[in-house]
Amino acid sequence: MSDHRVTKFAIPEIIFGQGSIGYLAQCSRRLGAKRALLVTDQGLIDSGWAGHVMDILRGDGLDFLLFDKVNSNPRDYQVHEGADLYTLEKADVIIALGGGSPMDTAKGVGTIVGNGGRIADYEGANRIMRPLPPMIFIPTNAGSGSDISQFCIITDVERQVKMSIISRSLVPNVSIIDPNLLMTKGNQLVVSSAIDALAHAIESFVSPLASPFTENQALKAIELIAKNLQPALENRTPQVMEQLSIASTAAGMSFSNAGLGIGHALAHSLGGIFDTLHGLVHPIVLPAVMRYNLPACPEKMCTIGRIIQGGVESCSPSQGEEGISQLEELFARLDVPHRMRDIVPDASKLEQICRMAVHDACMLTNPRKADWEDLLAICREAW
Amino acid sequence: MVQPTDLQDLIGIEHSKLGFFQELRQKVEELKESNKRSEEQRREIAAILDGITDVMMVLSENLRIISVNHVFRHLFDDPHPEGKFCYELFRHEDHPCPECPAFRSLATNSVCRDTAIFKLKGRNLQFEMVASPLKNPEWPEHRVLIFKRDVTLEKEYQAKYYQVEKMATMGMLAAGVAHEVNNPMAAIRGFAEGLQRRLPRIEGEVDPELAQDFREYTDIILKECHRCQKIIQTLLTFSRPVSAAFYPLALNMIVTDTLRLVDHHLRKREGLKIQLRLADELPLIYGDESQLKQVILNLLVNALDAIQGEGTIQIRTRFVGEAEVCLCVEDTGCGIPPENLDKMFEPFFTTKAVGKGIGIGLASCYNIVQEHGGDISVTSEVGKGSRFTVCLPLNANEGSRERALFSPRR
Repeated sequence: MSDHRVTKFAIPEIIFGQGSIGYLAQCSRRLGAKRALLVTDQGLIDSGWAGHVMDILRGDGLDFLLFDKVNSNPRDYQVHEGADLYTLEKADVIIALGGGSPMDTAKGVGTIVGNGGRIADYEGANRIMRPLPPMIFIPTNAGSGSDISQFCIITDVERQVKMSIISRSLVPNVSIIDPNLLMTKGNQLVVSSAIDALAHAIESFVSPLASPFTENQALKAIELIAKNLQPALENRTPQVMEQLSIASTAAGMSFSNAGLGIGHALAHSLGGIFDTLHGLVHPIVLPAVMRYNLPACPEKMCTIGRIIQGGVESCSPSQGEEGISQLEELFARLDVPHRMRDIVPDASKLEQICRMAVHDACMLTNPRKADWEDLLAICREAW
Repeated sequence: MVQPTDLQDLIGIEHSKLGFFQELRQKVEELKESNKRSEEQRREIAAILDGITDVMMVLSENLRIISVNHVFRHLFDDPHPEGKFCYELFRHEDHPCPECPAFRSLATNSVCRDTAIFKLKGRNLQFEMVASPLKNPEWPEHRVLIFKRDVTLEKEYQAKYYQVEKMATMGMLAAGVAHEVNNPMAAIRGFAEGLQRRLPRIEGEVDPELAQDFREYTDIILKECHRCQKIIQTLLTFSRPVSAAFYPLALNMIVTDTLRLVDHHLRKREGLKIQLRLADELPLIYGDESQLKQVILNLLVNALDAIQGEGTIQIRTRFVGEAEVCLCVEDTGCGIPPENLDKMFEPFFTTKAVGKGIGIGLASCYNIVQEHGGDISVTSEVGKGSRFTVCLPLNANEGSRERALFSPRR
């Protein structure tokens, strides 16, 4: 691995700011929408945001179809259901409103309608050979970064695997990021998505594929989350939520181009076997993963530690370790599970989980090589 | 199943977000291809259409021309007939013709046929028309497809055929009559002449007044004999089969000759006046005497039939515009309803009672006049009368149609 690797940095068109959701209909029309497919989930319908989006579309006289058969860790059959609806109803532009699940479902639907076949055919990198319909994503959780990234994670129900589908074609055309949508989130969701974003930033920062362009985004994201997560829980102001939005978006830009690490490989595996909520995994495994990676990238870990601690000028050798401890303290103060035993019902399955995780594409971009036993050790540490 | 992913895959330098450019290009190619195919099909259909020798028009519901074929363009010099009304071009009218088959076809949603005579470029042409409705749910209004086939020649031959038949019969009749009548006539004439030769021998013996009576009576007998023979002569020329050569003729002569044939008819009719207005010094025309007599006879008979009771038939000849001589037969009879005007010259169209005619007279008039390079037309008003005008060119070879293929055996 040379230091002069040729890198690439690709992101969608990003429309950012409070009230930016008002541009949805206009954007859709620009992409040729006559009949959009709106992919969202029950949570967004309950919170009223889905209704708001539908009102915007109706107000512009834009015809649309609602597809809300999405749950967390979206399933392959849901993707096909959505694709069938799209084809049957002759939809055009795909609009996704929600967190990672609706957005990944939308990517899956787009893949199938553009390329045919089964979604499992596209597992891995760069298997998508034909264009997808235009996609507009409206992220509502400031965490998953799916609205920025070239990743799409779908559960193969039969194999109990979370498939990673990686393709530049999965980057949506437009991402409309409106921090106002975060104002109605529950605290737990704010925390889990912020830590997911933090994990994106940290894992992609230490990735061997990191480039100056991704590193800056990653550090900016780490800084913003460290500064704003606590305030967001205490007093949810639009300004604070905007900072978390920026953080999640920046983290998305970073990991989409630099990749992730073993933390996400584990999280995907857990999601596939136990249907574990993705956002709950990171507060638990992130510190352990960072400790495992520390020897491979001490300077970078040090930088992370300095940013998390804030205001520290120089970089001491123990800075990385201190940063990790700081994170653990931060997580402990938050109202989220922080031991693996809280979210995994059965320790006997851990080996299976780790054996599956080593096949995940995220393993490639971890700074330190790991086999399934290393992963198991991390899980035990976090148990 | 899935090939192992490596770091290069994640960077994906060679992979970009796929746009629709490729697909668009493919589509454009496909469209070009299909466009070419439909163009070929269009050409094929156009070639088929061009192979149709009938006049073809597509008309809107109100008879506006939407499209026409090349035959139509041959027929009319108008470079842009589209948008004009059919009756404008065919009839120079400002309203649709009653009885138009297009209307009937649209109303009944079936194919309708009709025939009519149109005067185009100064020539009367007879057309057989077929109107078929074109109904397409995507059109704002229905359309109608019209085929018009020029059947002038066919009808001519048809008429000629009947003419020939009639002439053959007439010929036999005339020959018989001539034969039958000429013999007694010759005897009467011989004996009358014999009487005249003997008159000087009895002049001294009888009362001079009586002798004068005898002279006068035998004169009259001879004159009437002469007249009879003239009539028989005329009959003979009339029944002579269609000749193949045109001779210089004096139209006025032909008129007076023909009048002699219907003389007894005319004299039988009370209150019927014949006005002869023959032009002085009419130039000679080239033509076939017996055929032209036929024309005049037909026109006269029709005029007679049109007049019930009192009335006037006016026969005029005149020299028109240095190039043609016209004959007008005008009656004060019942007139012709406008819907029949087109059909006047069609064979077998007749308004006469059964047994009075089969509707061949005017058709053969039309043919004869055409053959002479001339033209026959009619104007009429119901209840007021009709006027038939025959115009014949001085130079019959110019503009005259091919001589009939139908010359009967001598």
